[in-house]
Order: sequence, then structure tokens, then C-alpha cells
Amino acid sequence: MRKYIIGRLIRSFFSIFIVVSIAIVMIYTLVPKENIFFGDSYLPKLGSKPDETIQYKNSRWEELGYLDFVQQSDMCKNSDNYSGCMVIGSEESLVLKANYVDEGYTVDTFPKSGFLYAYKEYTAVELITNWFSNFIQIDNVNKISDDGNLDLERKVYLATDYNGLPAVKCSGCENEYLMYLDGSFPFIHQNFIKLNFGVSYPTYSGVETIDVISSGQGTYDYEDVEFPSGKTASSPLDLHNCTYKATSTLDRLDQEKFDSNYANCSFNYQDPSMISTSYLFGILALILSYVIGLPGGIFMSSRKGKLADKIGTVYINFMIAVPSLAFIFFAKLIGTAFGLPDKFPQFGFNDIRSYILPVIILGLLGTAGLMIWTRRYMVDQSNADYVKFARAKGLSQKEIFNNHILKNAIIPIVDGIPSSIILCISGAVITETVFAIPGMGKMLPDAIKAYNNSMVITLTFILTALSVLALLLGDILITFVDPRIKLDNKGDSR
Amino acid sequence: MENKFKLVKLEEQASEHILAPNYSYWKSVFRRFFSSKVAIFMFIISAIIILMSAIYPLFVPYSPSYTPNINDFATRFIRPNLEYLFGTDNVGNSLFDAIWSGTRNSLAIAFTATAITTILGVTVGAFWGFSKRIDKFMLEVYNIAANIPFTLLVIVLMYILGRGMWQLIFALSVTSWLTTAYFIRVQVMIIRDREYNLASRCLGTPTHRIITHNILPQLISVIVTAISRDVPTFISYEVFLGYLGMGLTQSDASLGRMISDYSQYISSASYLFWLPVCISAIIAVSLYVVGQTLADASDPRTHFI
Amino acid sequence: MEKNVVLSARDIEVKFKVRSRTLTAVRNISLDLYDGETLAIVGESGSGKSVFTKTFTGMLDSNGSVTNGEILFKGQDLVKIKNDKEWEQLRGKKISTIFQDPMTSLNPVRTIGYQIIEVIMKHQGKTKTEAKKLAIELMDRVGITDAAKRFDEYPFQYSGGMRQRIVIAISLACRPEILICDEPTTALDVTIQAQIIKLIKDLQVEYKFTTVYITHDLGVVANVADKVAVMYAGQIVEYGTVEDIFYRPKHPYTWALLSSLPQLGVKGKDLYAIVGTPPSLYEEVVGDAFAPRNPYAMQIDFEEEPPFFQISKTHRAKTWLLDPRAPKVDPPIEIQNLHERLMAIAGEEGGGYHG
Repeated sequence: MRKYIIGRLIRSFFSIFIVVSIAIVMIYTLVPKENIFFGDSYLPKLGSKPDETIQYKNSRWEELGYLDFVQQSDMCKNSDNYSGCMVIGSEESLVLKANYVDEGYTVDTFPKSGFLYAYKEYTAVELITNWFSNFIQIDNVNKISDDGNLDLERKVYLATDYNGLPAVKCSGCENEYLMYLDGSFPFIHQNFIKLNFGVSYPTYSGVETIDVISSGQGTYDYEDVEFPSGKTASSPLDLHNCTYKATSTLDRLDQEKFDSNYANCSFNYQDPSMISTSYLFGILALILSYVIGLPGGIFMSSRKGKLADKIGTVYINFMIAVPSLAFIFFAKLIGTAFGLPDKFPQFGFNDIRSYILPVIILGLLGTAGLMIWTRRYMVDQSNADYVKFARAKGLSQKEIFNNHILKNAIIPIVDGIPSSIILCISGAVITETVFAIPGMGKMLPDAIKAYNNSMVITLTFILTALSVLALLLGDILITFVDPRIKLDNKGDSR
Repeated sequence: MENKFKLVKLEEQASEHILAPNYSYWKSVFRRFFSSKVAIFMFIISAIIILMSAIYPLFVPYSPSYTPNINDFATRFIRPNLEYLFGTDNVGNSLFDAIWSGTRNSLAIAFTATAITTILGVTVGAFWGFSKRIDKFMLEVYNIAANIPFTLLVIVLMYILGRGMWQLIFALSVTSWLTTAYFIRVQVMIIRDREYNLASRCLGTPTHRIITHNILPQLISVIVTAISRDVPTFISYEVFLGYLGMGLTQSDASLGRMISDYSQYISSASYLFWLPVCISAIIAVSLYVVGQTLADASDPRTHFI
Repeated sequence: MEKNVVLSARDIEVKFKVRSRTLTAVRNISLDLYDGETLAIVGESGSGKSVFTKTFTGMLDSNGSVTNGEILFKGQDLVKIKNDKEWEQLRGKKISTIFQDPMTSLNPVRTIGYQIIEVIMKHQGKTKTEAKKLAIELMDRVGITDAAKRFDEYPFQYSGGMRQRIVIAISLACRPEILICDEPTTALDVTIQAQIIKLIKDLQVEYKFTTVYITHDLGVVANVADKVAVMYAGQIVEYGTVEDIFYRPKHPYTWALLSSLPQLGVKGKDLYAIVGTPPSLYEEVVGDAFAPRNPYAMQIDFEEEPPFFQISKTHRAKTWLLDPRAPKVDPPIEIQNLHERLMAIAGEEGGGYHG
């Protein structure tokens, strides 16, 4: 069993790897790289300054991983005669230029200053390796090197945090707290390992994409805090997540609050993060669709051919056939008649009315498939031989149903949970967009409209990973409910 | 009185006479289909819509970027009347023209994508079901592709490929055919090993006849079911992508884009918004019902009830 | 000694609605079951054997109904029972059924033990512990080794033969008075067949119930039956003790069945097979249903349905050949001296026929 799980995990990672790699390669090579500047507000300010424009664009491209960008000053660092190299048109610079051309670079000159610059776009393989090699970042005691703090103590130690709870702290790492406990899910938090999905641009510029979707949203959440220096104040800073700030950049305010260089803290926000939002809606909707779908399907199968079955079939056909968008708008029409908001930000996170309509819609979208499946399964089971024998034994329809059929039925239901989760993700994109709910689903089209490639790739990774793991989970769950199945490495999994 | 107790010669042929009624597959299919009033109704509706959207734009072309009346304020926002059956929009174009062009695009995309998905899927699936070697390989591919949420895939592909009709068709069908192929593969594997096929092989029936006479008829119902699901799904995606501005280009008529553009008029000129929404729903539902009924009718097992 | 009649069926007619037509599967059958005896019902597929026995337990498909006749069992007319609750008092408790395929008769996701005790708990009102004890004893009795351990196992962990034993155990758990076995050994291999048949026979003596065997296998019939009813096209065409049927058959169909025994085949010659197929029961049958396939048919067979002719106290057959006006006809050569010939074969092969 364990071997199977490990095998499947490896396969799952491989799937994610393939999908994300294909996405990376296709996005980076097929989407014109000029497009990312559509939403850039700084670039127009550079206006007609050609040198600055070229430098800005190429630096940005380099940052985002498109290409390797070098300017004459960097190129000349490799030559013996630095000052001679820096002269425009000199022998050294021409030799240098030839060298770079040989290595595959495109070498050009700045129109105004005349200095050389060169760039080489990464190949598909390089794109992939670059992305994945930066993927996992492990914090360690030697991470920080600060010229202004040469005798920085390097240690990892157990201590209590400002709440008196045990924590693992570090001096010399990038993060002050490597592990801490608090009251929010999942209760134990770590900063050892960080996943680097890239930097968001042009929207949320400079912020890591993973932070964009996992940090809270909305306005700052002020709380009374006691700083390490002893000072208390009302602050939105999250003292568990402070990173190292170079001594030269520490200012008076920092020194007032902090007793170390760890003064760069993240913020607490009022509203939940994008991930949490999507997750919340997803779970609620999933529960709703099962609560309606399963009993619905069972009921329909027990009244097969009669009115209830026919009504149910009409409902299912309607849900499947009608374009999701049209359905959402019809539902909104009804909902707004009851005073429910037609856009989420109208009432926001703290008003239950904001949640009702999207959850109901998302939930209903999932019921159709469930009902069809459940009904067909129940009908098939009713005709099974063991049911015939159970009847001959003298068991009543109700007893057969409760004690036999249901137990069989759980198997495909559990099997279907992963597909429901995947469906939920799809449905969420549409619903969140229409309702303007700040979740991961809405982020996808937003990121695409803004040509925010890092974000698109990040979301591809996360959503694919969710699906893959949901499938794996489904297969594992089945072993608990079906005594016939012992997982091993043969046979098709899906 | 003649002696009725005389022995009579046995007529071998008479006893072999089987009294089961004549059975024609296609006749039964059509009989079952047309016995449903709902199906007939939906069939008529979808036929009307398809014909209108195929023929009307040939005579009255429409493009959102062609706005002859843009400066004539009097032609704007006219509510539906006899002259403008669906009214006019914010630049004076007739919504009637717009809707039929948009529907035509939606249907063209949905049908083409379905055709590609089905043809590719059935062909690959049939071979897949027969060959064990292909099975091993295809299962790996399928597992990877099945992991990706379809919406994610379509959106990212449209991002990469850019807007346009063929890009959209490609994005919709590039992994859908795998799902169809998988379905077919499962069915073929079940049917392939059934006794009547083994019997046919024993009797010396050539493989291609086994495929066309034994296996394919069983598959028809499955294939029609898949088609009846795919068409509304693709319509739904085209509408949604149009709404997001990621589907067809600016100058193509698109129901989704109309819905997006006119959502701001939902209180002032609601007909502009609701007509595209309703038309998209009606065409999808009617095609789906027709497809489902046809699938049910073509399943030979239902012919006995 | 006169045995008691435990169940009496009179003039039973069963009709099914198929598409828009009506199929008469059972056309006027009357039959008595005697206490402690084994009745074998023989016939081709489609002769109506299963359908007839399903009327005893109300297990006809939803499109079928008993349109005529009565079935008297313990003072009750079973035909008149309309709701499931009353049937539940009979099924499993007074009349049990065993079906053909043991592979699918058991619920794959419930333990064997559970499937036995639920019957005991329902019909006998015992507690779980009491039921478990009884169940293990039962499992032991039907030949499951290590019963206590295997109580918690699942059907897939049992072999086909063992599953059929469990099915038998379940059916007999509440000591029914009648056990209906619908081709219980067809799906099993020959060696297991013999074991199962012997098991049922032994249990019948011990638990004292009446058995009805539905089968098309004359070998099984010869082995277990006291009485035999030969069915064709929804009717009983001949009825008698097993000796009557095997040594003194009078109906041409019975002759044909016996002639078809593969054991009678002579090397080099074609095996005997009955020409033609049974008639369609959608239409009303005129005359003797077997007439078109009957090498001994007479003109009257095509015109009038023959009545039963009583041959002896136990033996009757429904054929015009027994009418005094009919010509004297001998049974075909193949089945004369049947007993001696089959015993000879059994002696050669060492098995397969127990006279």
C-alpha cells in the first residue's frame, strides 16, 4: 500500500511538472513579451527616452526570467582591461562583442549613449530548469550576509514567542521565526521551506505571486501589539513573520520597535486571502451539492418513471444544458429580487448575504452530475443479483436499501469526490468572476488580462496540483470503503 | 369422420419458424425518438435557431466594429418593435442581426469542436480499446491530461494562442478528444470480450465486419450521448470566454461578449442583456434534449420496452 | 403411506406485459408438493420453470402477474397476497430460494457473517450474539472449515463452491418448509456439483423440508428427485415418480429429452437433438404445443389440446397418444432399456449416473 502511494505521488508530481513546464514554455515563447508592459504605469513616464526604455524593459524581462541581460559594464568585468573595454568602439569592446555573439547573444547598442548591451532569450529547457531550480528555497543560518553586521550571531534556538508559546527562532536566517504556533489554521506554521513561484508583474508589482494569493486582503487589521523592544502600540504588523533588514537600512522607527535586525514584518489584514476565500466558497458549495445531489439521485431512483423522477430529470437536463453564465445570471435575477447583493464587494466578507447566492449557485452547478450518477447507480444496484437474493431471503425493500445498497453506493460516491472538487475549481472561476469575489478563481482571468505571466503560471501550478492530489485522495479513500480493493501498482487508476 | 388419430409426417421447416416480429434498428430508433413530444418540440426549436443563424447572416451581415448608425442618436436603444424585432443597441445596430451572427459563431465553434473531438476520439478510442500496448501508453497520457481542470486549460490556451475562432476551436478540442477516446476505450474493452464477439470470430467473421456490425452499433448510443453533452458544454465555454473578452476577436459577433458589454444596461435597456442570455440558454437546452433523446433512442436495450 | 401435501397449486396462469404485447409464460399448471419429497422440474429454457416457482414467493418481475388459479400453502392462498410485508413473512422463513450464480448472490461489500445473521435476526428475533452462534454452527454444518474465523471474511475470499454453501446456509437458517433450488449447480464445476447436491440432500433429511429442483440436467434429476414434472411451453406435459419418468415415459417430449442424454451417444453417429424451437407464447397455442416438433404427432394434436391421462396413481401425461383411439407407439430405441444402459456407462466411467 505504501509503495503504491509513493508511486502515485511521484506520478502526481510528474503530472504537475509536465503541465507546468508546458505552460511555462508556451507562455514564455508564444505570448509576445511586449504585452506584459500593457499595464505598466511607469513605462509611459519614460516616454521618449530610448536608452532608459530599453534598459527598463530588458531589466524587467530578466527579472521575470525571459532572458539574460548584460550591459557593457557587466560584459567588461570579464576583460583584463576594464577601462579600455569601457571605451565605445574600442578593440576590447569589439572582441567582447564577438565573444558574446558567439555564445548566442544578440548584441546591440544604446541609441543615445552608444554603450553595448546584449541579451539571450532562454531556451525551453533553460526556462524550465530556471523555474524549478528556484522553486524550493530553504532558509538557513548562513542565508544573510550583511556588510553592516559582520558579527551577526548564527544560530537556531528554541524560545518563547511574544505570546509565551514555544517557537523555533533563528539568527542569521532570513526569517526570525522558523516555526511558531498560533490560533489560526493550520496552527503550526513554518518558515523553513518557502516555495518560490516568481514575482508578480505588472499587477501587484514586486510581490511574490504566492504572497499575493495567500496574504490577507482588504484593509490593515490593527491590534495592540507588544514589540520586542518592549514598546506597545496599535499595529497591523505580524510579528511572527519578520525578515532580516540590512543594518544600513534600519531607521529610527525600526530601532524603537525592534531589538534586532528582523524588522521587516508582514501585515495582518482584515479580509481572508484569495486562497482562503476560494477554499471557503468551494467547501460550502461542495457540501451543498452533495446534500442536494445525493438524496436527490436516490429519491429519483426510488421513484423511477414517476413524476418525481421526471421532474428531477428536467432539472438535471436544464442544469447541464444551460450555459453556466446564463444560469448564473438567471439565479442572480432571482436572488437580487430577495435583496441579495449582485456583487460580492457590495457587502463584503462580514455580511452573510454576500455568501448566499454564490454558494448556492456553485453548489447547484455541481448537483446535476451527482444526481445522474447516483440515480443510475441505484437503479443498477436494484437489479443486481444480490438484491434478488436478499429479497428471496425475506428482507424488506427498506432493509435491503439501508443495509446493502447504500454500502455499495458509498464506493462510487467516494470515488466521485475528486471529480467534484475539480469541477468546483472550474465553476469557481466563472462564479467568482461574475460576482467579483476576490479569490483565486477570479485572479486567473485578471492575471491573463494584465499579462501577468508569473501569476498565470502560479495559478496553473496550484490548480493542477489541487486536481492531481484530489484524484490521489479519492483513490486512497476508496480502499477504506471497498474491501475488495487492495491498491498496488498495476491496473489503470482512472 | 376422418381419423384424427393418424400419425402425421413431421415438417421440419415449420418448427424452425421463429415468430418474433421483424426488427429494424433504425426504424426503432426513429420510432422511439418521435414518440417523445418534448423531443419533437425541442427538435423544431433547435432547427429554427440553426436555420436562422445559418441563413440570416448570409443576407444581413453583422460585425460589432461595423457601426453605420453610430452618429444617428435616434437609432439607439430602441426597444423591440416590429421594425427592430430585438431592438437596437448603444451604437444603433440591430440586436436581431447581432444575435443571429453571434449564435452562428457559437454554433459553428461548438459543432466544429464537437466534430473534431468525436471523430478523433472515436478513432483513437477504438484502437486504444483493442491494443494492449497502446493502452499502457495512452493511459499515462490520459492521466496527465485528465488532471487539468478544463476551464484552466481553455483560458490559458486562449491566452497563449490569442483570440480567434480557430484558436478557440483548438483550445476546446485539444484535450476533449482524450475524454471521448477514453469513454470509447472502456466500451470497446467491455464489448470486445463479450461472447457474441468471440462467437463471431469463431465463425470466421473478418475483423472489420466485427467492428462495423457487432461493436459500432453498441457504440452509437455512447457516441450520441457524448455529442449531446459536448455541444452545450462548448457553447457554454464560448459564451463564458466571450464574456471574459478572451474568445473571438473584437470584430466577431459573440453572444458572450454581448452579455458582457450589455450587462451595464441591465436596468436601463434590459432587453439588450437578457436576449443574448436567453437565446444562448434556449439553443443549448434544445440541442441537449434532442441529443439525449436520440442517444436514448439509439440504445438497442430500450427498444424492448 | 400417504404423504402430506405441503403446497398445492391449481390452474396457475402467469402473464407478462412486454412492449405492448402479452406473453403467457405459464399456461394452466396444477401441482402438489409432498412433505419431505424432492420434486424436479425439468424443461428447456423458456419453458416457464423459473416463472412458475417465482409465484410461490411473489418474486415475479414487475410486468408479470398471476392471472388465474390459486396456490394453497398453510391455509393461505398465495396468489391473493398483494403487499410486500406479507411476502416477507414467507420468504426466507417458510419458503427459501437458491439461485443459479453464487458469485453474484452475495453482497460483495458485506461480510459473510453479516449476511447470515441478518436473516436470523429478522425472522427469529434473536440478538446479534445468539445469531452469530447459530450462524457459525450453520457454517460448520454446510462444510466451511474454520467457521468462526471465516465469519468476518468477505465473499471474494471464498471460492464458488463455498459461496454456494453459504447461500444454502442462509436459505436454511430459518428452517423453511420449502426450498426452491433454481439451477443451483449449473455455474459450478462437476466435482463441486456433486458435493452441493449431496449437501442439500443431507440437509433435507436432517432439517426435514421439501425441495423443488429446477434444472435442465437429467443427470441431476436422476440423482435427487422423488417426483419429476416435465414442462414444455408453459405447461406440465408429464408428471410422475423418477422411476415412472425414466423407465416408463409416455410423452413424446419426455422421450425426446431422454434421447438427448449425451451419455447415450454412440461413437460415429450424430447425437440426438430435437428439431425446431419452442413456440412463441405471445400467441395463443392451438392444440398440443409440442406438435410441430413431435415425430409422433397426429392430426388431432394440431387441433385440440390433449387432456391429462392418468397412467398410474403417481403418473400422468398430457398426450393424445394415450387416448384409446390412438395407435400403439413404442418409445424410441435410444431410450429403451435406459436403466441398464446408463448403469453400464456408469460402470465404465465410474460416475455420472446414480440409478
